[in-house]
Amino acid sequence: MIERKKSDVGRTVINVFALLLVLSYAVPYVYLLMTALKPAADVQQIPPSFFPNRITLENFRTVLATPSLPAAFANSLMVAVLTTVLSLVLAVPAAYVATQYRRSFTTFFLLFALVTRMVPAVSLGVPLFTLLKSMGLLDTTLGLVLAHTSTAVPLALLLMSAFFEGLPKELEEAARMDGCTRFQAFVKIILPVMRSGIAVTALFSFIASWNEFLYALLLTSEKGKTAPIVIAEYNSVYGLAWGPMTAAAVLYSLPVILITLILQKQIIGGLTFGAVKG
Amino acid sequence: MTENRFVLAMLAPAAIFLGLLVAYPVALLVFNSFYKVELIAPDVRAWVGLQNYIEVLTSSRVRESALRTVQYTCFALLFEFVFGFCAALLFNAIAEGSRWHRTIFALPLMVPPIVAGLLWRFLLIGDIGILNYGLDSLGLVDNPDAIRWLSDEDVVIYAVSFADIWLTTSFVALVSYAGLTNIPRELLEAARIDGASALKRFWHVTLPMMRPVLAVVVIVRGVDAAKTFDLIWIQTQGGPRHQSEVISMNIYQRMVRYGDLGDASASATLFLLVMILLAVVAYWKIWRPAND
Repeated sequence: MIERKKSDVGRTVINVFALLLVLSYAVPYVYLLMTALKPAADVQQIPPSFFPNRITLENFRTVLATPSLPAAFANSLMVAVLTTVLSLVLAVPAAYVATQYRRSFTTFFLLFALVTRMVPAVSLGVPLFTLLKSMGLLDTTLGLVLAHTSTAVPLALLLMSAFFEGLPKELEEAARMDGCTRFQAFVKIILPVMRSGIAVTALFSFIASWNEFLYALLLTSEKGKTAPIVIAEYNSVYGLAWGPMTAAAVLYSLPVILITLILQKQIIGGLTFGAVKG
Repeated sequence: MTENRFVLAMLAPAAIFLGLLVAYPVALLVFNSFYKVELIAPDVRAWVGLQNYIEVLTSSRVRESALRTVQYTCFALLFEFVFGFCAALLFNAIAEGSRWHRTIFALPLMVPPIVAGLLWRFLLIGDIGILNYGLDSLGLVDNPDAIRWLSDEDVVIYAVSFADIWLTTSFVALVSYAGLTNIPRELLEAARIDGASALKRFWHVTLPMMRPVLAVVVIVRGVDAAKTFDLIWIQTQGGPRHQSEVISMNIYQRMVRYGDLGDASASATLFLLVMILLAVVAYWKIWRPAND
């Protein structure tokens, strides 16, 4: 009985300690949020205060009134959606045959995808710049989509093949018995069964493209600029306008945070999964 | 349709795409690295053999940025690893009660790197950075100006990694936690009955069982940290006086600012080779045990 009591106390202490530690991890982002809600004059006050004296949406209004930012958000959204669709169309069928119909060349293909994930963006970015330039695709949405897809496909391949690993071969065989061709079986039977895995993979492609910085910096200059590039430019162009910059950063990071909080179980699962497999 | 044709038809689009947008550019990169070629006119080139490589390998700025990449990677990895693994042990100790803890802890993972970089710049910057005021009020430093995190040449390469550590500790924690929950309870129970202390159980059961998971974490995170560009770029653009310039940034500068495509290609090729070497290590260490 006494022993039990002791362990209850210990448990509470661990819980409180863990909660404090975990909350301290959230503090920087909360500070970003607080800064975005401060009046512009208070943002750079010395000494700094954590909480705003007065909550205002002034910084958000400033940001939305800057014409370059809404356009950049639209570009980001467009590039991320197209990248996601293209990388799924390419990677899902390939991952399916690579795991369900093993050949030596499919193994080689997956290995190639694994190695590709280790390629530093800057190493691929240097030749992609000249390649897109010669195709007239610099500073275009399509050009950036191609660049993003080149990194999204290997990731999607590895994630999807991890999901396909667990798929019983009997499913396709049963569909074939019912008179489906291999391709029909894939589209009508396999794809619907795999929809949650496909959704996770799609989300990862989307987030990776939405967050991507180096290719966007290298391959776009005006029309094709995405949100992170424009936010980074607040640094120089507006002479360290921290207020609007933090507001823009909040707007830019909020969609991904919300999606992840809603689907946290799948995402965290996919993340650990993707890391261990890829 | 024969089985083989089906396999090829399903695989071909992805293979062709990766061929055109990964394999071909990489070939172009290696090709360019043997030429004197300028960014403004990439079609005009003169064969120079290994001269670009010699220039890269003898340049002190390249050597320093390579060394800095190693410093940055080791420092970030060490702290991410220690914090992340301890957090995982903590989550494991409170077991099912840790669901909300894990969710809050994972918050930085969802923050775009560029925002994390901006945020930490704002926390560390001179005058208005709140971190120094916090340290000051705790009595850890003498005054709020004591450490100039992002403008002190000796400190900056470590200071820029705070954002990386904040951003990815949760990744280490979540992967380690997944590994910890996979250790069979009976094993730890058996060790306990045999009279092994908590510390001994940790050392002789938990750690050896976690070895493959920890290897994955170190390699995946190590490779990613070595590739870092955006986080540091947004905080310092490589300054002051190149003291936070890592290798990917050095390559970018060579190409964009100096327009020297040949040199940039040579260092990008070398960087790629090192990373592929790490990938091969990853393959042997991680994929092989899983296949056995």
